[in-house]
Amino acid sequence: MAASFDNLDPSESPSDGAGAAAKDNVLTQVFETLVQLDNEGQPRPLLAASWTHDPARKKWLFAVRPNVTLHNGAPWEPPGGAIAIDDRRPIEEILRNLAKPQSAIAVRMPDGTLEGTGPFRVTRWEPRKFITLEAFDHYWGGRPFLDQIEIHLGRSLHDQGLDFDLGKADAVEIPLTDVKRIQQRGARVALSLPVETLALVFDNPKPELDRVREALAWSVDRAAIHSVLLQKQGEICGALMPQWLSGYAFLFDRDRNVARAKELASNPPPLTLVYDNQSSLIRSIAERIMLNAADAGITIRPATGPAGDLHIALLQIRTFDPRLALEDLATALLSPTVGTSSSEPANLYAMERALIEVRRLIPLFQLPIAVELNADVRNWPVRQARWQDVWMDERAKP
Amino acid sequence: MTFRTKLLWVSSLTIAGAVALVTGAVSAAARQTFERVDEDRRKGLVDQFQREMAAQGHDVERRVDRAAAADSVARIAIEANRLEPDFSSYVDEARSLADAQALDFLDIVQQDAAIVSNADSPARFGYKLNWLISAGEWQSSRAFLTRISNGDNNPVVLAAVHPVSAGERKIFVIGAKALGSPFLSSMGGAPGVRAMLWLSQGELLDADGSVPVWPVLQTLLNRVKDTRHEATATVAQESIVASPLLHGDTFLGALVVGASLREQQALESSILKTGLFVAAAGILLGVLIGWWTTARVTRPVSQLVSGVHAVAGGDWTTRVSVSSHDELGQLAEAFNKMTEQLIEQRDRTVQAERVASWRELARRLAHELKNPLFPLQITIENLQRARDQHPDQFDEVFRESTATLLAELHQLKLIVGQFSDFAKMPKPEIETVDANTVVRDVMKLFDAQFQANGRPPIEPSLDLENGALPIPADPLQLSRALRNLVLNAMDAMPEGGRLRVSTQRLDDGVRIQVADSGQGLTEEECARLFTPYYTTKRHGTGLGLAIVQSVVADHQGKISVSGQLGHGATFTIDLPLRRDA
Repeated sequence: MAASFDNLDPSESPSDGAGAAAKDNVLTQVFETLVQLDNEGQPRPLLAASWTHDPARKKWLFAVRPNVTLHNGAPWEPPGGAIAIDDRRPIEEILRNLAKPQSAIAVRMPDGTLEGTGPFRVTRWEPRKFITLEAFDHYWGGRPFLDQIEIHLGRSLHDQGLDFDLGKADAVEIPLTDVKRIQQRGARVALSLPVETLALVFDNPKPELDRVREALAWSVDRAAIHSVLLQKQGEICGALMPQWLSGYAFLFDRDRNVARAKELASNPPPLTLVYDNQSSLIRSIAERIMLNAADAGITIRPATGPAGDLHIALLQIRTFDPRLALEDLATALLSPTVGTSSSEPANLYAMERALIEVRRLIPLFQLPIAVELNADVRNWPVRQARWQDVWMDERAKP
Repeated sequence: MTFRTKLLWVSSLTIAGAVALVTGAVSAAARQTFERVDEDRRKGLVDQFQREMAAQGHDVERRVDRAAAADSVARIAIEANRLEPDFSSYVDEARSLADAQALDFLDIVQQDAAIVSNADSPARFGYKLNWLISAGEWQSSRAFLTRISNGDNNPVVLAAVHPVSAGERKIFVIGAKALGSPFLSSMGGAPGVRAMLWLSQGELLDADGSVPVWPVLQTLLNRVKDTRHEATATVAQESIVASPLLHGDTFLGALVVGASLREQQALESSILKTGLFVAAAGILLGVLIGWWTTARVTRPVSQLVSGVHAVAGGDWTTRVSVSSHDELGQLAEAFNKMTEQLIEQRDRTVQAERVASWRELARRLAHELKNPLFPLQITIENLQRARDQHPDQFDEVFRESTATLLAELHQLKLIVGQFSDFAKMPKPEIETVDANTVVRDVMKLFDAQFQANGRPPIEPSLDLENGALPIPADPLQLSRALRNLVLNAMDAMPEGGRLRVSTQRLDDGVRIQVADSGQGLTEEECARLFTPYYTTKRHGTGLGLAIVQSVVADHQGKISVSGQLGHGATFTIDLPLRRDA
């Protein structure tokens, strides 16, 4: 994978979104949480068998699943067979919090190592480079099909493609722009749900730039970019969270209106845009945005340094809970003040719109993760990273 | 300036002018030849680079043709004829085609000029190349120059368009090479020649990159831009020709070809130096020859001049040598003959004057001696008659007659003494004397005579310069001359009058004036007064003023007289402060 991380402590989350998402995906195979969210975002027991509050109704008691074994072979038996959590928040909120990968159960051994209970255990680890997962025979949910998974971290998409072509890899990440071409040649491609939001972010939000931001949002020809540069992969959006997660993303404007943009952009100051020049896709999207902006009379030039007036950001969606996802996005966008006490769609909509307004965001696209798979790979997960269900069909090997 | 110098100047200037004329003519001819060669070279270079440009154009055409023949382009053409064409798969196609054909720019464009794929920026898909659908030079399917709009720099390119048709709707493959340093590098060139491109204000490119634009070159380029015509100039040892790059009537820039003039200028400089050296040598040689020639030509003239100066200085024996028979030789012979005739004439004149002087002397002597002799004869006859006829009265007559005889003899003695004095004028014994002192001493000698009884009084006056007036003079002779002048003045005032003697300091001498209020002189008398033996007095010998003039001349001075009849006369003596050796 292209992203990387430098430690195996699930409670520590890397600062970059891609690294955090990668770490979540990998460590979910090693460390498990008490509860997990299903595809609808509802909490379901995982290591916890059930939960109830204490008689004084001050703590929540989570009864742990029986016969759970740590990767070192020791049984995982919390004292009293339950875990008490002293949290006064509503139980729904506590459960959603416990479902986060950062809340996974990791037992620190005397030698400092962390032992998990997941379907795979770590047998080799080089920070930011390499990790090998081996099937845990005593997994309480049954042994995974795959004996071993070798994951190369921080490997460019180009190198991953070479690895795949040379038969060194069974699954590699691919650029979205290659999906169509790869599919046309008959290869297998697995696309996740849209879990990355590509957005323009103003780095120094100023009230006087509100009209410019609005004009720029109207000027971008999302449809053309989606159709050509993104090869129709992902979704056009005007919202931060994808439709499949929030259910209200369609309420945000996402069409192009150059006339409106021109009307709003009256003598706008020239802006500089920061983007990842190493990615041809991001570079092409950035150039298209600059061309579209010029149509509306807004001058945007590539920033010559690391700082600019705005940048193209890829925001990760790392949970199936819209409220948690929104909070994650707010955290990633350094806007902790935006929050809500309710998970109601209306409140989340208001929270998301406020986040967009406060941070002067222009969401553009929600993008999936594309993975090219070998012909013998079966049951590759497209929603949750459940690698224990993946298996190799020996008959499909050439 | 001597005749020889003049002649030398004339000959030298003539030679120098001739050499300068020849050198200038040669230099001008050489310059014209070089300019013609330079012009031909410029034209050749422009033609060469235009051919290179045409060759590059053909190359672009070929590359675009090859790109248009690619399978992917055929697929795009087919896609363009679908009901709902989807070009998303081809958005990067132009880039790979451009890389394959080594083109700087490549666009695959739909029939409506909408970009399907742009090699430079895939993000430009869907934008229209409006110039493509307007009638333009590209329709000739030949390469053409144009300026493309791709953002900030809008480069000038050599472009070609190739239409591709797979049905009713066609697509266009547009390829181009940017005109810039790499383009110039690929054009090649000759040693000492460089091609440059001026594509926008202030930017001039050669094969190595940006080069500075000198003000002269900027002016040239602006002229090309304004006139749309070729222009030339010479800038910093480089012959520059700038040709406009046009797309239709649109000025895109200029092709600037510079040919180094260093070798040519070195050759010109060498020719000029050689010419100057030859000219200098010619002038020097001419001057030397002129010097020798003029020396030969002017030598007789110089001898003649020397001879004339010698004759003028009194040396009448001078002769010039006659070395030729030309005009100068004849002139020399005539000169020699003239001097001989002058000597003969002088001798004759001296002899005649000598005879005349003797005659005059004899006449004067006869005249002066006759006057006393007649009374002597009468007196002696009276004595003889008194002895014969009146013996009683003889003693008385004898006494009276002897007195008369003694008086007349005294007069005769006086006359003879004056003649003797004039004849014996000694050389002056020069010493420094005060002119005022000499004048005062002379005037003292005559104090008694001015107021003597029996004659009308004379009123003397002295008007002397303050202080001493030292002059080189013989005091006795000067005193004698002044005494003669005072006596002369007294003789001129028998009825009495005023005598004024004055001294005056001059720049280079001293002036002494003796003025009387006597009967005066006529102009003729003034002119002849210093002639020996000329006198206006009844009993004068005419030697007094001659002696004065002789004394003054011996003192290297001058004497003059002025006067008017009835208004007295003034004698003026100017004596020098220094004597010539």
